[in-house]
Amino acid sequence: MAEQDRGNEQYITEQFKRYYATEAQRVEAPPEIRRREFGFLSFGGRTMFRHIGFQDPQQFRGYLREYAPAHTYFSAAYYKDPRASMAEKGWLGADLVFDIDSDHFDLPCQKEHDRWTCRTCGKEGKGHPPETCHDCKKATFIEETWLCENCLRAAKYEAQKLLDILIEDFGFQASGELSVNFSGNRGFHVHVRSPSAKELDQLARREIVDYIRGIGIEAEYQGLIARRGRGGTASEQRGWRGRSIRALYDFIAEATPEQIKGLKLGRGASLNLIESRDEILTALMNKQPSRVVKYIDGKSMGKLLEAAVREQASAIDTVVTTDLRRLIRLPNTLHGKTGWLTQNIPIDDLADYDPLTQAIAFTEGTERVFINRAPEIVLSGETYGPFEEESLELPLAVAIFLLCKNAARVER
Amino acid sequence: MISDREAAKYPFLNDAVTYVETLGLTLENLVDPSYTGVLERGERRVSQAILSGEATVELEDTLTELLSFPVANMFITAMAEEYLFRRYALSEAARAHELLKDEAEERIAKLARLEFGWDLRLVQERVGEKLYRFEAHFKDYLKNAASFREPEWKLVNRLIRNGYVLLTKRDASRLLQEEIQRRIGSLVSKRRRISLPDPLRIRVNNLQKLFDENRSRLTGQALPTKLLTEALPPCIRHAFQGLMAGRRASHMERFALTSFLINAGMGIDDIVKLFASITDFDEQFTRYQIEHIAGLRGSRTRYTPPTCSTLKTHRVCYEPDRLCERIKHPLSYYRIKVRDYQRE
Ligand code: SF4
Ligand SMILES: [Zn+2]
Ligand SMILES: [Zn+2]
Repeated sequence: MAEQDRGNEQYITEQFKRYYATEAQRVEAPPEIRRREFGFLSFGGRTMFRHIGFQDPQQFRGYLREYAPAHTYFSAAYYKDPRASMAEKGWLGADLVFDIDSDHFDLPCQKEHDRWTCRTCGKEGKGHPPETCHDCKKATFIEETWLCENCLRAAKYEAQKLLDILIEDFGFQASGELSVNFSGNRGFHVHVRSPSAKELDQLARREIVDYIRGIGIEAEYQGLIARRGRGGTASEQRGWRGRSIRALYDFIAEATPEQIKGLKLGRGASLNLIESRDEILTALMNKQPSRVVKYIDGKSMGKLLEAAVREQASAIDTVVTTDLRRLIRLPNTLHGKTGWLTQNIPIDDLADYDPLTQAIAFTEGTERVFINRAPEIVLSGETYGPFEEESLELPLAVAIFLLCKNAARVER
Repeated sequence: MISDREAAKYPFLNDAVTYVETLGLTLENLVDPSYTGVLERGERRVSQAILSGEATVELEDTLTELLSFPVANMFITAMAEEYLFRRYALSEAARAHELLKDEAEERIAKLARLEFGWDLRLVQERVGEKLYRFEAHFKDYLKNAASFREPEWKLVNRLIRNGYVLLTKRDASRLLQEEIQRRIGSLVSKRRRISLPDPLRIRVNNLQKLFDENRSRLTGQALPTKLLTEALPPCIRHAFQGLMAGRRASHMERFALTSFLINAGMGIDDIVKLFASITDFDEQFTRYQIEHIAGLRGSRTRYTPPTCSTLKTHRVCYEPDRLCERIKHPLSYYRIKVRDYQRE
């Protein structure tokens, strides 16, 4: 993204300071604060202040009040000495963390609100930038990414699927071991705090990632190619088994003949999926996957399953979870790219949670800003924009959002 | 108290180790002719590790079988060959697995819980053709199965509910084999100087000779200094070609490629040149990153490329071919291919 205007930086910092002056008191420090590493980014700062440690919540809140950082992070890991250099910290374990970011999804709305510009030749386009520029073949772009209810809803759906897997399959306790946070921008974070999660090494975390994304799933082990399986018992529905049958059901029920052809299955399988769809669906509904075998050969089943599980898997980021030393945004602090809160959400409230109303930090006042260009945005139920080269007096939350996104400047 | 027979079968168990300690054997004792059988068996355990990779079970004389284990450990530690630490641990663990797989479920469960701290329950559930007899907490499962590459061990292909993974008896003993291998590995891989009396020294020298004769067969030849592009695994080839075309590469892809090239023996200057010529990265930055990965900077550890399963997770694995099915690591792929090319 383009560089932030110096005046904007100053203005937002002042607003963040004002916010933290009264609200820092309410920011909950993470459990075992003395074992955590903290990291901060200031507005306009290029490098993160890392390896910071605090003795207690008060000291930490004092830091927020004094510096009003643009971004506040803490380590999922626990260290003997969080302030030491990486090699000397003494890793004691880490929470299991998941990051869901709608920026990694491919959504129709992104073609509406996101833009890119080729750094080399200036070519412009909407949505995600291509791998390389069509005109000049270079691969660096200036990206303008926005968000809307739709991206956030998609991210929430992935978070809900993730939580289901963590609770049902991994047995984590919804109350006490799991916490869900709105990331303050385009996604959600899930933290698992439990003794069994803490000790997992990188290899184990990678397997968990694969599990949640459904990577490496094979029809043979899902009872879908079994020669003599009967189906129906409770344990046969454990884990991905039950889920993959549901996945297949949903997929086959909804797929158009074109989609099925697109999968490049065996000829018999494609034909059967179209002509004997009802028989196949009935067998799946009765949890008799082995009956499906006569319609779909093993190899085709593999391909079909791979396509189908994507809908049941959760699109978590693979890097965040497997990084044992990752810093993650601290809940209930401000996000410098939106001016919203990174917000902890009680799991039971997740279904009704609306970040575009509930994560708004600056609820009072107005500000006059000049806006270069911005798509429509809905905050607290009110619609603003789209904007194009105009000067407007806006509610503070909207003004700060546009300033944080670097789409506007303060007019004083 | 552990019986002689149990201790001989599983000499790495805490109780067996304690039992041997109470016997108070010293190095001088071992030189006594009455222990020749123990020394011989100890030497054979090591030579079996070198030659076949699996120690035999010899329970006719339980005390000799038991005492030869710490003796063999001592030989291995004295040889101080990094590679042998692993191979020996594997060989002894395979021996234990031979015995374990025929034990009663209760015995297996007890061993898993008491010796290795597993959270494990006995169950009886038939699913299709399989009879599941245990369920283990996923953390204990993953600690041991996460490095297996067969699809049946992937958690996603397992029956799991509420944190517990169903296991057959065969599964459980295979997973325990991993625990055992790790324990034996840590028993022998201590770096310490041992000065042995002559009769023992001679045996160690014999073993050393045996290992030297087999070294190249076991550890594989050195790689050529010039990169053999024909031998690159599909993922690395793809990353390489992508880079050439100026395609945006993920961090993991870049890392995999760089660390692969370094470990495949390409010089740092050459890699810098290669990268600088085709990306818009400025040279200083590229060099810094490469030197970091090569272990010339920062933590001074030289990074090895990620394993295939890591690359699969991060979607760097690309159109794996037949050879890929046999390997766990892109470097092994390269090694095998290089060897094939050199033969031709
Ligand atoms: S299997 Fe391994 S070596 Fe083969 S393409 Fe995939 S990651 Fe590369
Ligand atoms: Zn261009
Ligand atoms: Zn959107």
